[in-house]
Amino acid sequence: MALVQEGNPRAFEMLYDRHGGPAFSLAYRMVGNRVTAEDISQEAFLSIWRSRLRYQPERGSVRTWVLGIVHHRAIDALRRNLVHDKRRASAEGIEERFEAPEQTDVEVARMDEANIVRGAIKELPDEQAKVIELAYFGGFSHSKIAEMLEMPIGTVKGRMRLGLDKLRRQLEGGVVYER
Amino acid sequence: MSVERHEIHEQSVGAYALGALEELEAKHFEAHLEECHLCRDELERLRPAVDALARSVTPLPAPPAVKAALMAEVEADLRERGDSRAPGILSRLRERFAVTGGSIAGVRPAVAWVSAALVLLVGGVTGFAISQSTSDSGAETLAATVDERNLPGGSGSLLVPGDPDGGAILRVHGMPPLDNKSVYQVWVQRDGETISQSLFSVGMDGTGAAAVSEDLEGADAVMVTREQAQGARAPTGDPIITVPL
Repeated sequence: MALVQEGNPRAFEMLYDRHGGPAFSLAYRMVGNRVTAEDISQEAFLSIWRSRLRYQPERGSVRTWVLGIVHHRAIDALRRNLVHDKRRASAEGIEERFEAPEQTDVEVARMDEANIVRGAIKELPDEQAKVIELAYFGGFSHSKIAEMLEMPIGTVKGRMRLGLDKLRRQLEGGVVYER
Repeated sequence: MSVERHEIHEQSVGAYALGALEELEAKHFEAHLEECHLCRDELERLRPAVDALARSVTPLPAPPAVKAALMAEVEADLRERGDSRAPGILSRLRERFAVTGGSIAGVRPAVAWVSAALVLLVGGVTGFAISQSTSDSGAETLAATVDERNLPGGSGSLLVPGDPDGGAILRVHGMPPLDNKSVYQVWVQRDGETISQSLFSVGMDGTGAAAVSEDLEGADAVMVTREQAQGARAPTGDPIITVPL
């Protein structure tokens, strides 16, 4: 990452090789459209290239930083109605539409990790999982979620916070967080 | 920082971590974070859970087309800065057209390889890889003037290569993305006549690039207008970006 911050194009290429798949996967999960997901991940990496000095190691891993940028851009796209098809891709069945990646150790590990986290999400009370899903993957604001679910904004916020807290505690023993 | 203010904001920690606050509310919350260690600590406590959400999605392969487009932009950026680290495309083209003595200057191939190598890079809905060619010396970057009324915050520059047979690259920033009924169109103005060059759109961050394949010697300006999706034969409105030559 230090080389990327110095403007080294080969280092940037390696950054994309390492994190481009997860970035695209998250974007696709959110917008449900391949072209838009490609645009989002391309623009996210471009912004990383052009503002590379802003990465701060003490705030988290490179992966976390990259996915945070992708997530932010995907939310912008969703809220600007740039995704005309508002159906979100479900986690099920996406892999059937894409050429299956070669099952390297890295891909196997990522799939395992995804399964663990999905399992932890399923353990959340439905009302907490729902607001987290709508917010994080749907890109909806808390006020919009309150309107959709016909509940007070305070209730939505409270469930978000409780749900994240419970998810954190469930995962603490099972998933290694990159640092 | 008062306890009351903390109590007002503490319920927003989860929503903020998920990106679910409205823009203005998020800014207020960020201002609060600067003075409230309780909320900062809570945010840090919840952040691993949010990070894990990103990892819960089905892993998909990185699209090769995105990488190609990205590296083309990287190379274009480095050329603009006059950075010699831009690898790949230009050196491969030079190897193909190398003449005795290794100098390309003054050679006029039957097909102008510089122009042939220029294709449109679009940051929006569709994308094509752009192979830009400039010579190492004599390249010039010209700043654009922008119609502030229609394009507040926009900017642009034209990279003109030293090679007179070479095309130019127009780079833009801060331009509003268009819907699929409209497009940005590039023109060269010469002796009162406007000649269409290319159509382009911009990405959601407002950046984009377009090719100008016309020989710019003797031209008055390069301009950008907003047109219908299929483009126009002549500008239908005033230019929003102009690069005087």
